[in-house]
Amino acid sequence: MSDAVAQKRPLALNAIIYGFIVLWVILAAVPFFWTVWGSFKVEADFFSRESWWNAIFGTSTTRQTGNAFTGAGYYGAWVLRDFWRAAGNTIIVTVCVTVISLTLGTLGGYALARSGRNYAFWILIAALVFRAMPHITLVSGYLLPFFQLNIWGVLPTSIIVLVAINQPFTLWMLHSFFLSIPKDLDESAMVDGCTRFQAFRLVIMPVMWPGVVTTGLFSFLLGYNDFAVTAMLLSAENQTMVPKISSFLGSIQETGNVMYAVAAVVSATVPLFILVLFFQRQIVSGLTAGAVKG
Amino acid sequence: MAQIRLKNVSKRWNNFVGVDNFNLDIADQEFLVLLGPSGCGKTTTMRMIAGLEEITEGEIWIGDRLVNKLEPKDRDISMVFQSYGLYPNMTVYENIRFPLKVRKVPQEQHHERVMAASKMVELDDFLQRRPAALSGGQRQRVALARAIVREPNAFLMDEPLSNLDAKLRVSTRAQIKNLHHTLKRTTIYVTHDQIEAMTLADRVVVMSKGLVQQVGTPMEIYDRPANTFVASFIGSPAMNLIKGSIEGGVFTSEGIRIEGLTLAAKGPVTLGFRAEDASLAQASGQIEAPIYTVELLGDATMLSMRVAGELVSIKVNKDYRAEIGELARVAIPASACHLFDHSTGARIA
Repeated sequence: MSDAVAQKRPLALNAIIYGFIVLWVILAAVPFFWTVWGSFKVEADFFSRESWWNAIFGTSTTRQTGNAFTGAGYYGAWVLRDFWRAAGNTIIVTVCVTVISLTLGTLGGYALARSGRNYAFWILIAALVFRAMPHITLVSGYLLPFFQLNIWGVLPTSIIVLVAINQPFTLWMLHSFFLSIPKDLDESAMVDGCTRFQAFRLVIMPVMWPGVVTTGLFSFLLGYNDFAVTAMLLSAENQTMVPKISSFLGSIQETGNVMYAVAAVVSATVPLFILVLFFQRQIVSGLTAGAVKG
Repeated sequence: MAQIRLKNVSKRWNNFVGVDNFNLDIADQEFLVLLGPSGCGKTTTMRMIAGLEEITEGEIWIGDRLVNKLEPKDRDISMVFQSYGLYPNMTVYENIRFPLKVRKVPQEQHHERVMAASKMVELDDFLQRRPAALSGGQRQRVALARAIVREPNAFLMDEPLSNLDAKLRVSTRAQIKNLHHTLKRTTIYVTHDQIEAMTLADRVVVMSKGLVQQVGTPMEIYDRPANTFVASFIGSPAMNLIKGSIEGGVFTSEGIRIEGLTLAAKGPVTLGFRAEDASLAQASGQIEAPIYTVELLGDATMLSMRVAGELVSIKVNKDYRAEIGELARVAIPASACHLFDHSTGARIA
């Protein structure tokens, strides 16, 4: 059918349409593939001043290592500079942030969605205001008390701050998912013999999974990609991946450090690809509204 | 054994009165229908009995227990919702079984009871499907099966038929009536459809604006409506109501004169009569007016004409044919007339 439509269009329009798609793909995807390819070169190639073809053919890489590809950047980042530790910290932070946000978010979102009270609305508005604030506002306010309480620099502190930043969003998101589930479902469960909490757990949550997965993914990404909070609140040895990458870039006295950053960036991106591909079905169904029909 | 007793039950939201001072004793095994237009408080009343809505004032007793403070699950009732309220992630079998599961009924009884309930509503062939793969009527039957599987003391049904098409409504209605006969449980049924009320009920409660208008058997409500609201709500077409005045047993208004009515009433009144109680007169009738429309219903012909500013319907023989504008003479026996107070609408005679 789409072929038939395409044939009816004038050639010029088709050319523009496909040209635009190609351009968009290039803009979106090429920098990433460029980075992946370049991460296996030496700095002299990837940041070559002679010709950018060097980054593709690896002229300097071959000269320096005897092979067109080198894992030196990865070796340096993961082994010499302890990137594995940052990766571990990122896993701890993101998993904790996601789990805590979702737990509080589902309970709170459900309560707000089913509450008939006026203040439920104002709580959501307040949440929206806090969601709109730049993350850094919260961090600067936290810094001094955290120093004085002597809890600066450790993972739990930044987990709590990230949850605080993320919670308004999860609350909103899950609240609207819960609203899309008819109230009759809770009520018939309660008449059938459930307590309010059992109705939530046995009847509502099973139809909420698309919403939970979607919201969970966004929470995960917030924790995973955060720079403002983790850079300010974590000491050097507790850094997560993103501030760690930034620190590779910041100290360019040693050659190869920039390549550590490039290798680390690629290492940090791959899990995201896998994650999105793995959950794509749930995310799509979640994003196209909670299509829950009885 | 489950009489349900409502004592001075009221429901208010801030200043809005949902249900005002509702008093009723519902006998064990009775089929009670709450009837009224939308927003009359019938569903709110049922939800208060179910425990889904808090009671502002008054007491609700189920059996010998005061249930005001009890959770829905502790009231030993089951409910069928207008939108069915089926659990979309469970199969039909699991849906029906759910009440047994959460109430910790011994496992070994589950299968037998689910099968018995599904057999009763003829669902045996669909047990492994999910609700999404069922038609509206099948979903409603799942909801019924889920309500009866537990064998509670009372059933509450909130407009269970209103999402079904006309044909299915008739057959499901018959099924509900039959279920009530078989199971012999107190049933409270909410509807805005007076035909459902007439066909199903042992007693009907007609409500309007949060107030009970009349309680009675279907025939009482049809034959002796307590006020003009009930008169105009029950029956299809609604009762004809004509404003006029009465003096010495003679009702007169523009285009109508009826003799032989009660001598007790005097002054301005509203007169009511049903379309099927009137007939065409040969010589002179109580009404003489040009025909406004002729509607062929198949089993009867409906004439309407303008009397005292109101459109009056007359049900006549199915073979009757007339042109619009022709003069029709209508006979109305005085015995078929109802008189209502012209301002309060309450029944006089």
